Amino acid sequence: MNEIGNSRSRVAPIIALVVGAVLVGFLWVLVTAKPNTADSADSPLLGQPAPSVVTTTLNDENFALARRKGSWVIFNFFNSTCVPCVAEHPELVAFTKRESTAANPAELYTVINDDNDDSVRAFFSKNGGDWQKIRDTDGAISVAFGVAKVPETWIIDPNGYVRLRIAGKLSTGLLDEQLNLLKKQFGS
Amino acid sequence: MAPKSVNSKWSWLLLVVAAVALLAFGSTRSSGPKTQADRIDAITKVLACPTCQGESVYVSRASAAESIRAEVARQISGGQRSDDEIIGYIEARFGSRVLLVPRSTGLDSLIWILPVFALICAVGTLGFAFRRWRVVGSDSVSDEDAQMVERALREEK
Repeated sequence: MNEIGNSRSRVAPIIALVVGAVLVGFLWVLVTAKPNTADSADSPLLGQPAPSVVTTTLNDENFALARRKGSWVIFNFFNSTCVPCVAEHPELVAFTKRESTAANPAELYTVINDDNDDSVRAFFSKNGGDWQKIRDTDGAISVAFGVAKVPETWIIDPNGYVRLRIAGKLSTGLLDEQLNLLKKQFGS
Repeated sequence: MAPKSVNSKWSWLLLVVAAVALLAFGSTRSSGPKTQADRIDAITKVLACPTCQGESVYVSRASAAESIRAEVARQISGGQRSDDEIIGYIEARFGSRVLLVPRSTGLDSLIWILPVFALICAVGTLGFAFRRWRVVGSDSVSDEDAQMVERALREEK
């Protein structure tokens, strides 16, 4: 009887210690976890060559992303009925105005996500924005970039590598700020 | 001749082994060639709709799910990729959160390993506890209890 009592008193503290250590470990992870405050969103494509994009523009011209090498390319995934897309539009218009005076201006493209040509034309004629709009038939470009919800903005460097993904509405000056940082890091 | 209880144990063991073998065979055997529609269904059933909660691409009618379904159909009709490669393509774009059935490699493998580990620990702990209870039970007859039983037996005579 005493032997059993002794072995129990030996095992119990070990079990309590192991359980306590696991709980402290969980607490440590929770306390030290850093909230995601970055402006960019994660993607397996970051730092990878951009997916092949071959499509047509709203003006029925051919478009191939591979032929845009040498320039910084910005894809803005857009739908004319999406509220944040409409809300960020003035920011894109202001960005293209500022960028037009740059030495090597970035090329902005609207990628039409699940929308029809007429609605997009009507939106741009009302709200401005004379950059190219490219069609995304059956969502192939959206899937290739892993875009689940619009708006999303992607930056591709002059060598064709994906450098940044911004999910959601662009805040004021964010695109300029991020593009300048990338240009410094990877060369303009 | 072996005792009846030993024969009975062997029969049960054989039955369990046969059942496990048949289940393993049934769950892994190839069900023959699939049509393109079957392949689209099979792939979209294991992909999660990226904008929904707990819905597969197969079930969801969300725009992102429709786009993924169209891409799967396009790749199958292209005939260049196997089902696993197509799932890998979608995973490489949307990340592992798009998989309804987690991979058994890397950190994701913990999802498969931890429950088995927890089960083994639980069964081991229970076995250990039962064994100790049995030992405690067999040794725990006090002198007082023994005398009480003796008295009762004497009275019965």
